Amino acid sequence: MVSPASAAYVMWYRQVKRFVRARSRLVGSIFQPIFWMVFLGLGFTSALRGAPVFGGIDYLTFFAPGVVMMAVFFTAFFSGTSIIWDREFGFLKEILVAPASRTATILGRILGDVTIAMLQGVIILALALLMVPSLNLTGFPLVLAAAFFTALQFAALGTILASKLKSFEGFQLVNMLLAMPIFFLSGAFYPVDALPGPAALAAYLNPLVYGVELSRRALTGMGFLPLPTSLTILTASSIRHFLVAVWSFEKTTAE
Amino acid sequence: MEEVIVAEGLTKVFGSLKAVDEVSFTVRRGEIFGFLGPNGAGKTTTINLLTTLMKPTSGRGLVAGYDIQREPQKVREKIGVLFQDITLDRELTGWENLWVHGLIHGIPRRLLRERIRELLAFVELEEWASHQVKRFSGGMQRRLQIAAALLHRPEVLFLDEPTLGLDPQSRNRIWDYILELRREGVTIFLTTHYMDEAERLCHRTAIIDHGRIIALGTPEELEKSLGSEMVYVKLASNSLQDAARMAEGLKNVEGCRVQMVKPGEISVSTIKASEAIPRIFEKAEGLAVKIREVTYHKPTLEDVFLHLTGRKLRDEEVSGMEAIRIRHRWWR
Repeated sequence: MVSPASAAYVMWYRQVKRFVRARSRLVGSIFQPIFWMVFLGLGFTSALRGAPVFGGIDYLTFFAPGVVMMAVFFTAFFSGTSIIWDREFGFLKEILVAPASRTATILGRILGDVTIAMLQGVIILALALLMVPSLNLTGFPLVLAAAFFTALQFAALGTILASKLKSFEGFQLVNMLLAMPIFFLSGAFYPVDALPGPAALAAYLNPLVYGVELSRRALTGMGFLPLPTSLTILTASSIRHFLVAVWSFEKTTAE
Repeated sequence: MEEVIVAEGLTKVFGSLKAVDEVSFTVRRGEIFGFLGPNGAGKTTTINLLTTLMKPTSGRGLVAGYDIQREPQKVREKIGVLFQDITLDRELTGWENLWVHGLIHGIPRRLLRERIRELLAFVELEEWASHQVKRFSGGMQRRLQIAAALLHRPEVLFLDEPTLGLDPQSRNRIWDYILELRREGVTIFLTTHYMDEAERLCHRTAIIDHGRIIALGTPEELEKSLGSEMVYVKLASNSLQDAARMAEGLKNVEGCRVQMVKPGEISVSTIKASEAIPRIFEKAEGLAVKIREVTYHKPTLEDVFLHLTGRKLRDEEVSGMEAIRIRHRWWR
């Protein structure tokens, strides 16, 4: 009988080790959000100075908590790529013929990706603080919680996609197609509660909205939903997606 | 004797292709059992079925007493697999790969550290333990994979083309490891498309082609099924006339059948070359034909395969005509 804790640990260890080895990945994933913040955030801040839409805070203060979640989202969502690579390079077979429970291995794997995504979120938050010193750091634990569940949510969705789409190109394509609307409709750029009917509905169905909402609530005190509501929706949907991910990985074969 | 692998009518269909077609065989404890056949014959699919990576379309398989379909988890606890392709994590070091492998196979950490040290020594990679696998040569990656497959002391070892694409030196080394395991009594199921590999390593070999087993036995039995040995006689003179005279003379020599006559050369098939050769000499003396050289060879598995399928085993050995046709297809 293989200890599920050992199996989960070692899969976590592997994901994190691989990330630490690939320094370019770290650097690349940090620069992108910085560019958003500098080129888009600063630009809008001066263009919209004095506009009342953001509840009295300037655009960059409004935008920064969203960028933190955006970094978490992208890293987590694209982590499914590693399953595709593992299928391509054969390592997946090694896992599939091992007696360790699949639930334990996929749990460890997803937690490894969650760790990496959270780490990036924290780095982006630290950099955002340099640009927006007024962010309220007493909300840090809540940001961590939001980052954790957002990462879990999207690492799970990435895993589900990777279990269904077996080619690297297919996965890239579908992921990009999904990532763009999720990202633009996340509430990071503008308040989604002001959207017209159908768009607002789409936003409410977007799981990233709740992560951004919580992050903004924690760091600026602003938000359009009561905190317990967004927290409940986020945790419930991320756990649900995680369970679906476990289920789809259980059924994976080498075919 | 105890049967460790049992396959009964194992079948796997992909679309309209029967990759494995009603395959039945058993492997006994401590035996090395070989699957010999060309690429695409169904060898790897059979391994995928027996190692629970794929589900059979029909038929039944038992490994170490467990049903591959109903108790895949139990089967996985008993087996070690060396896949044909590299299944290592190239970003991790040699040691880290074994560490991951050991923990997903449930080896307690302290014991695992010890085993890793032992096995790195066994495959002579101690000095490479802390290098990333992507820096390893093909032969080294193969050896590390063998170490991983042995790490959890499996009851049954599956080796899919263990020496495919390796240089002769690495090949010999891996053969030595397998022979060492054979001495230790590990049950091994291996696939290969190298005749010499099957002959050298396997107790019994099944010849598989188009998903079906077409012959099964010890290498000697399979060779005997061909029923003859070949004797090649080279004459001192290079004349066709002498060769023809000699061939004529050999017609009524007991147990000899002339297969081919060329200027200065005759080949003869016979049940027992050691008895036929003196008779050939006698005949030559009687006909006053001088013999320069006599060689003979026992039929190899290669001959058996050729005999059974009418094709050569290795697909890289295509005839000149075939090669032209293939190139032609490329151009179109």
